[in-house]
Amino acid sequence: MAPKESHQVILPSQVTTTGDLNRLIRELDTLDDYLNQAALRSAQEASKLPQTSRVLEELAASHSLQLLRPGDRKAFKAILGEIKQQAPTIHFSFASPPSLTFLNKLVTWLRTNIDTNLLLKIGLEPSIAGGCIVRTTNKQFDFSLRKHFVLQHDLLVNVLTGRKESQ
Amino acid sequence: MNNGWNIAIIVLLVLVAGVLIWLALTISKLRLPAKHLTKGTFEDQAKRDVEHIFNDEFREELRNRGRLHFEKIIGENAMFLQQDLRLTTSQVNEYIKKEITEKLQGEFTKYEQTISDAKQIAIDSITKTNTQLEQESHTLSVQLHQEFDGEKARMIKRFDEHMAEIVNYYVLSAVGNQVDLNDQLEFILKDLQENKEDIFKDINNGA
Repeated sequence: MAPKESHQVILPSQVTTTGDLNRLIRELDTLDDYLNQAALRSAQEASKLPQTSRVLEELAASHSLQLLRPGDRKAFKAILGEIKQQAPTIHFSFASPPSLTFLNKLVTWLRTNIDTNLLLKIGLEPSIAGGCIVRTTNKQFDFSLRKHFVLQHDLLVNVLTGRKESQ
Repeated sequence: MNNGWNIAIIVLLVLVAGVLIWLALTISKLRLPAKHLTKGTFEDQAKRDVEHIFNDEFREELRNRGRLHFEKIIGENAMFLQQDLRLTTSQVNEYIKKEITEKLQGEFTKYEQTISDAKQIAIDSITKTNTQLEQESHTLSVQLHQEFDGEKARMIKRFDEHMAEIVNYYVLSAVGNQVDLNDQLEFILKDLQENKEDIFKDINNGA
């Protein structure tokens, strides 16, 4: 089963959540606003460019887009907006906040196997103890340690009562 | 016996008094006609002789003797009467004492019997109460044992039923925060791989 490639832009693994994508869009909007305002001012009044993230620059460079060009910025904003509108989102609930490395590995696997522009929403649910709960559009997949314990209820009872598993 | 003697003595005294009175009357009757014998008849002479013999001195002597004898008899009888009275009094005292003693003895016997009966009734009542208490205690003990056994069985059953949940809760509480998420990545990816098709279908065809 090949992942679905529905968009021209491939999101880097650093952009894992909808929050990350929104932050990129805000940065791009800020830069665009600044450059548009700077174009209206004289050259002497030009000040320092707002700092952009490395992810935004790399993403733009990887698609041959110049952020200083108004047309490219507009195209880039349209692409990011389209991704925001159309990218599938999966909600993951973990017992503790995941690290960036963990999220990168997870989103890499998902984009490799499910959808190339898939985004995550991260939630916390300490009661699951371990594992995660995955919610897609219509379904929920419980991969938590709590669920594993419940599924292994009979095995645990047999072990605790000293009965053999075969019985 | 003494009463009989007393009666006899009293009767004798009455007879003696009667004889003396009769003698006195007879002598007085004989003296009156003597005044009429002054005509010198033989009978008158005899009467005079009799009056000479039984003159006033002699009569006074007889009366004195009779009085003394009577006093003596009266004194003796009074003494006898006193003795009898003392004897009777002592007998009456002994009789009363004996009667009172017997009565008291009887009353004490009845009283002891009553106390004994009451004691026996109390003992019977206490024994009966003890028996009932022992029966109640036994019944309660049996009921308590049954309740304990039932509660024990219920607790064991409840523990059996919820044992897994208890252990799960304990394990989750104990190790939940100790498991590193990075260590779980392999298992999470394995689960995702197993459900990859469902996730793919839901994402692409769901909404």
